[in-house]
Amino acid sequence: MDPPLDLSVELGNLRLRAPLLAASGTFGYGTEVPLLERSALGGMVSKGIFLKPRLGNPPPRIVETPSGMLNAIGLQGPGVEALIRDYLPLWADWEFPVLVNLNGVSVEEYGELAARLDGLPGVGGFEVNISCPNVREGGMFFGNDPRAAALVTAAVRERTRLPVWVKLTPMVTDIRVIAQAVEAAGADALCAVNTFLGMSMDLRTGRPRLAFGWGGLSGPAIRPMALHLAHQTARSVSIPVIGIGGIVTASDALEYLLAGCAAVQVGTATFVEPRAIAKVNEGIVGHLRAHGLSRLADLPRHLPRD
Amino acid sequence: MFETEAPLAGRRQVARDTWVLAFAAPEIGHAALAGQFVNIGWRPGPLLRRPFSVYGGGDNVEILLKAVGAGTDQLLDLRAGDRVSLLGPLGRGFEIVAGPVLLVSGGLGVAPMPLAARQAKLLGCGVHWAHGARTAADLCVEWHGDELTQATDDGSVGLPGSVLNAVTESEESAQILACGPNVMLRAVAERWPDAQVALETYMGCGTGVCLGCAVPLCSGGYDRACTEGPVYRAGDVDWPSLPGHLHYAPAR
Repeated sequence: MDPPLDLSVELGNLRLRAPLLAASGTFGYGTEVPLLERSALGGMVSKGIFLKPRLGNPPPRIVETPSGMLNAIGLQGPGVEALIRDYLPLWADWEFPVLVNLNGVSVEEYGELAARLDGLPGVGGFEVNISCPNVREGGMFFGNDPRAAALVTAAVRERTRLPVWVKLTPMVTDIRVIAQAVEAAGADALCAVNTFLGMSMDLRTGRPRLAFGWGGLSGPAIRPMALHLAHQTARSVSIPVIGIGGIVTASDALEYLLAGCAAVQVGTATFVEPRAIAKVNEGIVGHLRAHGLSRLADLPRHLPRD
Repeated sequence: MFETEAPLAGRRQVARDTWVLAFAAPEIGHAALAGQFVNIGWRPGPLLRRPFSVYGGGDNVEILLKAVGAGTDQLLDLRAGDRVSLLGPLGRGFEIVAGPVLLVSGGLGVAPMPLAARQAKLLGCGVHWAHGARTAADLCVEWHGDELTQATDDGSVGLPGSVLNAVTESEESAQILACGPNVMLRAVAERWPDAQVALETYMGCGTGVCLGCAVPLCSGGYDRACTEGPVYRAGDVDWPSLPGHLHYAPAR
């Protein structure tokens, strides 16, 4: 019998038993599907939540593209009060932390959400989603502007002592500028990256295939680009980076870990394979054993400093 | 809900370009109810799984498919024993109670009907199946129940025009179960709002997580075809907001 491996990771003030997290919007609230495998999870990030319930976008909401998936779900959700009532009591009993993915249309809304959830049993921390349109600043993305990104981060930081992670958008000229601004505003970790904007046209109708017009591209199609951005982010800050983008297999996850990420999130792969995260976990264990490592922390990283 | 690597156990043609594939998956096959579906993944294949109504149950899970593009070509190229990943049974099927049953299917909308006919017969229901397609060659050669009425768009067999014309007023008190293109189901909804319809949407996970398969409701908001559906009371769906035809297949 092989001795157990230590897969734990330290993400600032949060210790996870394993480096794998379920990405926001790809695991629901963790309770919907009996086949969704929670045993290998280091943590889970909830579906994105707003203060108020949201209907989401009209269909079609998803389109498959080569090795990828475009989605424009529109952050359909029950609002924070239903989240507190229906899910927090379940999460409070789980053996891993659940981070709530926070969304707002203004800086104040992010702060209000954090304040409402802070200290409630079941909330393990926050992932601040800053790739949502900022109506007050003329439709810009919070995540596109270092000043706005820092303001949102600070608004959440001021309302909680729980871990605050910030999920970065790839749709920027230099992700390092945003990363450093968010780090300076008090983030405990960065999640890199959210979906890339994309679109697909329907040749029969001459219209976009997504009713919303465009959407976020995820899946293996984005992996090399996302990996590069996660690596760039990790080189530019001293807080941990959680890599996201197109991870399906253990070797995909190991690429992110080797490139300097402290942990990773698995998203679209779970849609295809409800046990995807457990399988990735098995593969990481196999890789460590094959290399004679007993701790994930001993995995050598390629992370030259800028 | 089960996930299983199921080998291809058989294949037969039932209409032009249209086949029934049987996969050995007894857990799913015995649990599946009419109107439920399986989400199928295969490699090499598309990234996401593809949803198929369960056509036949038992030790095998049977699905109906038409050769329309790269993905269905791959499924039709499978040899006996080749495995695919089956996830199911998924969704909420037809609710069938004692009393006469009228099945109305258009084109590939036959897919959930054999199981529906079998379930209805087990309840002692009389089953009339009205089935329509574009031409005689597109009509499914298999049917179940007590009585079959056929219709074709070109009039080559049966009644000319829509299969809805095959339904007489005296039958409208039966429980009506319908499946076909969403444009046809919209017509069903206008005539028989209490009919149960199995509709189709683009789908991601099939398990209620991704919220990709949104079905717009007359009461406002959306629910999930994969979980609350794919069977709905016809009058409850906001049909103008739902795509009338789905085009999964990329060009060959």
